[in-house]
Amino acid sequence: MPPRPPSASPSTPFLTDVSRFLGAFRWAFMPLGLVALVAVGVHSAADTLDERLLSVVDRVDAAFDAFVGRFELTAPLVEWVSLEQRTRIARFLALAWELCADLVLALPALGYREASAPAPVEAWRAMMEPQPVQPTWRALWTRCWRKPTPMRWLRPLATAAVVLAGACAVAKLIQGSVYLSWRELFGDAAADVAARVLALAGLVGVLASLGWRAVLRNLQHADAVCEEAGGRRAWRQGLLGCGVVVPLAVAAAVDATPLWSFFR
Amino acid sequence: MFPRRAKGLLDFCMAALCVWAAYHHTPAGALLRKATAWATGTRSTARPLLAYYDGVSGTAVSAPLVAPDVPLMRPLTDAEALAWGTHLALKSMDARARAPVVALASELGVSTASLLDPQDGPVVARRLHAALAEDFPGEEARLTALFAGRVPARYALERMQAEGGTPTLERLASQLPPGFEGASVGAAQALALATAFGLAWPVHERARVTSPFGERFHPVLGRRKLHTGVDLGVPVGTSVVAVADGVVRRASEDAVNGRVLVVDHGRGVTTAYCHNSELLVKVGEGVARGQRVALSGNTGRSTGPHLHYQLELAARPMDPLKFRTALRSVVKDAAP
Repeated sequence: MPPRPPSASPSTPFLTDVSRFLGAFRWAFMPLGLVALVAVGVHSAADTLDERLLSVVDRVDAAFDAFVGRFELTAPLVEWVSLEQRTRIARFLALAWELCADLVLALPALGYREASAPAPVEAWRAMMEPQPVQPTWRALWTRCWRKPTPMRWLRPLATAAVVLAGACAVAKLIQGSVYLSWRELFGDAAADVAARVLALAGLVGVLASLGWRAVLRNLQHADAVCEEAGGRRAWRQGLLGCGVVVPLAVAAAVDATPLWSFFR
Repeated sequence: MFPRRAKGLLDFCMAALCVWAAYHHTPAGALLRKATAWATGTRSTARPLLAYYDGVSGTAVSAPLVAPDVPLMRPLTDAEALAWGTHLALKSMDARARAPVVALASELGVSTASLLDPQDGPVVARRLHAALAEDFPGEEARLTALFAGRVPARYALERMQAEGGTPTLERLASQLPPGFEGASVGAAQALALATAFGLAWPVHERARVTSPFGERFHPVLGRRKLHTGVDLGVPVGTSVVAVADGVVRRASEDAVNGRVLVVDHGRGVTTAYCHNSELLVKVGEGVARGQRVALSGNTGRSTGPHLHYQLELAARPMDPLKFRTALRSVVKDAAP
């Protein structure tokens, strides 16, 4: 028989009890938290891309107008898309892009399952009922090097960039909310210090609690998909998804990650 | 990572923070809020989905809003334009969103009613701006201070300076926590309107308006259609100048607009110049106010030499004459 986990002693502090109670619901709130973190990061990135999308839509529309304007029959199509509609189209594209990226990066997070250290089992049980083993960081890393594919590399890296942007957005929210609501209670200087400390704590906490798990979960998902496809087919797996998330990841890393601002 | 005993609590807190941020600040969260409101039969507080990408949320400026009740008797200075923009934006806001402005007005001994008065409103708005000018010399920061309050504006400004880069209204608004959306929209509307009041005219002031903005019987198509700009009767080859500093967003040619130029002036203001004979600037090029950008012509779907000048606020066509003082004479039913 495996050893029983130690039961809480009557003198266990209240917070420990609360923590243990909440810990029992990790299966529910951890996947939700991961999805939310990815969604916040993806939006931070998409928000910086809308102007560039508008410029792309403008160029495409200009080329379209020039083409259809050559022929009498198609000339009325020039007015098909007005200046106002172009802006709406660009915003709609940004929204569609963001929701697609959410699907690609956040959906694997919903499959997150908490894995505790394997409990010791009797030798005969281990032989008869082999337990499914989640690949470790080391195993995943090794496969990334030995069998590199776009999905294995790009999805976790994109997740890392997006998660960093998401953590910064959450920290900014904490800082603003704390400073503006605590200022009248504790004074300007105290509220400022508290806001900065809590924002940094939030940034570190989100990354330490959820950030690495989001990256790991995407790496596990990419690894499983590539392993299942095998060989050359693994190279083609998830290319479309990578195409969707990589520009957002670059935007997230370049424009939406004001890490140093929390120290200034 | 965390002490083992507190791990459950800390993980829960971090997950809750992320869900809170996503719920309030992402379109996915807005979808969820709308779905919840629909399921419970309540009113959703989420913004329209596309408003998450328009710089500052919901900057759309409605047409009736831009019409000053009192005709402008003379060209406005920059300060006056900002005051007019502020006054008109305030008129469109609800009482709760106007609270910081009302607080500042009370501080200065100004009655709330005069803020919305068509005669006194712009004058009072100018006083409010003057009171904030020392602490907030930049227009964007000052408008944030006016609509959100001094403390939030100072905080947003400091955070934005910590991040580096240019101080735009969008970036200032992004520093503020939930609850300031209405203030950000008001500030954005005021800035767009003020910028529109400060625009120059694309051709010489004597040019006749041969077709005004609005519904009209189209002379070529033979049906009623919204005329999204004003037609200015000028000979081919007349210099067309940029009405404000900006960046060329489009320089192209097609069968309807002819040689067309679209200039983005920022702050939600865009202008377009159609039917030109020659374009003198390229896409992506920066232009200065008064710089020659095109020569007018008769290209595209046009029945005579003219310049079609179009003004858009928050991507919505507006009547440019509403923002002018000198050009009030309109020759109706003339050729486009």
